Amino acid sequence: MKLRTGIAAVVLALALTAGAQARDQGADAIKIGGIFALTGPTSDVGVPYSEGVKAYVTHINSRGGVKGRKIDFISQDYGYNVARGEQLYSQLKGSGVIAIQGWGTADTEALRTRVNADRIPYMSASYAATLINPSETPYNFFVSPSYSTQMKIALRFIAEQSGGRQTDVAVFHHDSPFGQSPLEDGKGYVQSKKLKLGYETYTMPAGATDYTGLLTQAQRQGARWIIIQNVSTPAALLARDIARLGLNMKIVCLNWCGDEIFVGLAGRAAAGHYTVQPWGTTGLKVPGLKAPSAWLAARGNSLGKASVHFTQGWYTMAVMLKGVERVLASGKPVDGPNLKAALESMPKFSTGGVTPDVKFTAQTHEGLHSSRIFQVIRGRFRQVKGYRIP
Amino acid sequence: MAATTTGVYHGTYRADLALRHTKTEYVRLLLALAVVVALPFFASPYWLTVLNQIGIAVIGAIGLNILVGYTGQISLGQGGFLAVGAYTAGVVAVKTGASPLLGLLAAVVATAAVGAFFGLPALRLKGLYLAIATLASQQIIIWVITHWEWVTGGVDALVLDPVTLFGWTITGDRQWYWVIAGFAGLATIVGTNLFRTGVGRAFVAIRDQDVAAEVIGVDPARYKLLAFAVSSGFVGLAGALTAYWTQILTWERFTLDVSILYLAMIIVGGLGSISGAVYGAAFIIALPAYLQQVSLRFQGDSFFVRNLPALQLLIFGATIILFLLFEPKGMARIWQRMKDYFRLWPFRY
Repeated sequence: MKLRTGIAAVVLALALTAGAQARDQGADAIKIGGIFALTGPTSDVGVPYSEGVKAYVTHINSRGGVKGRKIDFISQDYGYNVARGEQLYSQLKGSGVIAIQGWGTADTEALRTRVNADRIPYMSASYAATLINPSETPYNFFVSPSYSTQMKIALRFIAEQSGGRQTDVAVFHHDSPFGQSPLEDGKGYVQSKKLKLGYETYTMPAGATDYTGLLTQAQRQGARWIIIQNVSTPAALLARDIARLGLNMKIVCLNWCGDEIFVGLAGRAAAGHYTVQPWGTTGLKVPGLKAPSAWLAARGNSLGKASVHFTQGWYTMAVMLKGVERVLASGKPVDGPNLKAALESMPKFSTGGVTPDVKFTAQTHEGLHSSRIFQVIRGRFRQVKGYRIP
Repeated sequence: MAATTTGVYHGTYRADLALRHTKTEYVRLLLALAVVVALPFFASPYWLTVLNQIGIAVIGAIGLNILVGYTGQISLGQGGFLAVGAYTAGVVAVKTGASPLLGLLAAVVATAAVGAFFGLPALRLKGLYLAIATLASQQIIIWVITHWEWVTGGVDALVLDPVTLFGWTITGDRQWYWVIAGFAGLATIVGTNLFRTGVGRAFVAIRDQDVAAEVIGVDPARYKLLAFAVSSGFVGLAGALTAYWTQILTWERFTLDVSILYLAMIIVGGLGSISGAVYGAAFIIALPAYLQQVSLRFQGDSFFVRNLPALQLLIFGATIILFLLFEPKGMARIWQRMKDYFRLWPFRY
């Protein structure tokens, strides 16, 4: 009976807290929503990304907000679960947000018809090329080259490295819309540019702990290069397997595996591998990293620990709030359609050297079109090529 | 002094077969209907979305309970069957532009057929072995959807136009509420009445003792497959409604997690009970939604706020464990006990 009383007390406490109000940024605050993956399969990179977004909001609010208006940022975890993402979207829409910072393929794809019907700009960290055409998805934006563009940059880089000689590329990808997104465009690029590259794709089974089988297939193909469209942990496992088997293969990671997690997990086996990383690395000596670095230092943290995904979130929010600032400057009401127009007409936005300049147009919502290339040298990613376009 | 009845007794077969035996039950039914009708006028947009998800889950959970709770055939393929229903409706809508009613019908029939096919192992397997066999069906269905590109669009999303029925375009969660609530009500009625028929009783006989069922003339092979087909038909309806309501389909909505969640619904609600499926679906969908709502009140930077997502999962998990510890027969049984308590008051039993 005592236990039941205890349970009843907990339930009652929960019911009471539901009624409590603990948030207020002032009546004229601008509401922006966040849908993040703080739990679930993508949380390893989802957590630092969300922290970057939220950090930028506190940073800008501590400096008086955007043109004197505070930002009321309402964010929640959806655990990479489509149904919960939808609930959360209704919640955010109901609370009157003018724009949303989203996360991955699951939420972005599931919500893309709704954000366009409700005219709520949606910035995602899903960089699928299906989201960049405003005639199809007018309210989806992302600050990055698409996975397809990154793939083309990687293929061009490999062709250059092999000096015009025939070489073979194996593309290892996650078995999901995210993983398969750049495959067709990569194949088309090899054909249209007449690159002397063999091009085969391989699915990386989810949860695998050993890639010997896949690597044997790639070896049979004669692959010297492996492009990975997956997250850091499996990429690091693959690097370790390449080292263990003594294969002469170089990895080129696209943006979601070229980070500190990859280098940390792969250890020595990471040496010599490459990444096409539009977001640079936290080791860059550029002015754009000073503000996030100072923000983290004031809280006993550092960029190296927070990872490149922190700056990714930080500047994605910075771009969105720059758009809000332009709407405020124009004197128009701050709403979805005006924010969309402001983002599309925004002059080049500088991230202080973290990425190339960000530019959207009414024809494309792909914010970046080029990327630098980095190689793991002495335990961290160092720049080997400047900005590359496909 | 008039005698107090100590229970509900039936003098005729007709009374025994009746769905409702007392006046109180009619009053309760009317009250429940009133609540269903009134809810959308009070619910916020957030809760409307949740209510629609509950409505769809009710249909799916009733379907699963017919198979697991009533016929005793465990299934981990629920997510896959939902996907078959959703993609059938989606493909019919996108490729042929046919009436959504036709799409719903196609989804129900196709899912029933697929369900019966994947139910074939049930003729040889039971219990955990059958669970693993149906787990394979989940994986196979998702694989087919992601790789059968010219039909399903592969890994790319399948986008549907808004549904138009007799010149009425259904838009917004409030309008959809009536459609979904209508179908959920229909599923409940069909589900309840199924177990007043010979087919339903045959299902229960197989669950209770399949050898004995065969002895009294129930063909286990036929009825096991029929149970898979009927159950999958309900699930296909739920999938099709998901497709029409959300207007966009990706395979990531129908993962193994969904199958597990539906099993949780019928276990928490009450195995072998239609009302249990309704309570369970409402509880499993509404609890995380409620926890999410609560945690939205807390923003800022503290240990509590940083760990909220983990705490939500913890509370969700703990609630289910507590349920199973204190009432393994689920919410339907709790409700039954409450009714008995008041009916017999002031006597204890």
